[in-house]
Amino acid sequence: MNNGTKVVEGLYYTKDHEWAKIEGDLVVVGITDHAQHALHEITYVEISEVGTVLNAGDSCGLVESMKASSDIFTPVSGEIVEVNTELEDAPELVNEDPYGKGWMFKIKPSNLEEDLKSLMDSKAYADFIASE
Amino acid sequence: MGGQTRSPLRRNEMNDQLLRTHLYDWHRSHGDVIDFAGWEMPVRYTDIREEHMAVREAVGIFDTTHMYRFIIRGPQAVDFLQTVTTNNVRKLRVGMGHYSTCLNEHGGTRDDLMLYRIGESEFVWVTNASNGPKIHSHLLEHSKRFDVIVEDKSREIAMIAVQGPRALELLSRMAETDVSEFPRFSITRLKLLGQDCFLCRTGYTGEAGGEILLLDTPFTDEGRAKATSFWEDILERGADLGVKPCGLGARDSTRLEAGFVLYGHELDENTSPIEARIPYAVKFKVDPHYIGYDVVLRHKKEGVEKTRIGFVMVDRGIPRQGYRVLKDGVEIGLVTSGGLSPVLGKGIGMAFVKPDIVAETDVIEIDIKGRIRRAEVTSWPFYDTERYGEGRSS
Repeated sequence: MNNGTKVVEGLYYTKDHEWAKIEGDLVVVGITDHAQHALHEITYVEISEVGTVLNAGDSCGLVESMKASSDIFTPVSGEIVEVNTELEDAPELVNEDPYGKGWMFKIKPSNLEEDLKSLMDSKAYADFIASE
Repeated sequence: MGGQTRSPLRRNEMNDQLLRTHLYDWHRSHGDVIDFAGWEMPVRYTDIREEHMAVREAVGIFDTTHMYRFIIRGPQAVDFLQTVTTNNVRKLRVGMGHYSTCLNEHGGTRDDLMLYRIGESEFVWVTNASNGPKIHSHLLEHSKRFDVIVEDKSREIAMIAVQGPRALELLSRMAETDVSEFPRFSITRLKLLGQDCFLCRTGYTGEAGGEILLLDTPFTDEGRAKATSFWEDILERGADLGVKPCGLGARDSTRLEAGFVLYGHELDENTSPIEARIPYAVKFKVDPHYIGYDVVLRHKKEGVEKTRIGFVMVDRGIPRQGYRVLKDGVEIGLVTSGGLSPVLGKGIGMAFVKPDIVAETDVIEIDIKGRIRRAEVTSWPFYDTERYGEGRSS
């Protein structure tokens, strides 16, 4: 289904509906508009601590809506260097601005070039959610 | 992103096997429809928290037509019902209802139910959507030995719950009489908005209100249109009271906050009503003894292997069904229901644990996907009963 949700060009996407944005030598991660739309009322976000070292695809956080708990998986390998602490008190930012103020964490990538090969670009992701 | 719950992203896939209530078209055009226990039901219309707070602070209406309604009548209706339910059927007066359970031979719960006595030998049995077919077969099988008829009226009677501190005001307008004088748990046949109904002074949210059985609503174009205009009329009549249509999301969050058990979570074929701590549904001075009697009597006299507790999160985190419960690092049980309490702004839950290990105000730990978080054992309801719920002071 594609319920008219937004897909932003220039980002990389996972099949689990995370987005990754390259910002200098860091990668910013969040969940897509499609994901927040499906989850609806997001009531809680928790991300692993700064300093956590992850492989691409590792679980590194939780998003809770009124109805469900969902894991967040990192799209790329590396070390978490910053977590969006605003979401502790305002998880609704993920609903309101999933590609902006609702970002979840920043990671210092350790295998970026290789990891990017398994991610989708905006067009592929738009096709993916349309076919899902 | 992904998780324990089947992807909500797949919700809108159609399945011809799914059942619909009379109000399906209205739900489809006003809300998000999901598959619930084989039914296409609205999970929300706008926002679960808003709908939840409408029930706590004003009034909300729920389509509960997916539940099953059986009419049981005949000279031996009481004898029959006492063999298959745990509350005292003989003590149930005409015009009243009670909460009860239906057990298997091992004392496990086939279902929980509301039983209403609408005549000396005539009863309405309201049971969970997920268990309707199972209970229907069970009743047909066991009724053979009795002079009694069991009829499934689920498709001929729509059902709507009206719940909240303004619910009785709204229902009184609809009835053109003061229904707040009807006692809790009563069932009364009357006209609501000009339609022939039973009004039950019961509910599943912790708030005052009622559950309406809208009679003569066959599952035909005409019946569906009648139920839909009845639903729309309630919304119109209650607009100034702040009435909101509420989906299954708010139905679950309000029942959890009130500490009510839900079949498939706190009750199942391996859990007795004594273990689930719903003793008011189970009586022992009954004749004849119901199926499962000996087991629940033993549970009451000799104790149980597991018992239900409630808890509120002390640390951050939202508990969910299946999470481990620990005490000082040692596993003592599992969470059966959990979620955010919109009233408290905290995670709350219910769990089954080994008995006699924890008491109220004890601190336990919940394993939230590998993160060990503290919670405090508390009694239900979880909200402040001075401010919320049927017994509120204002």
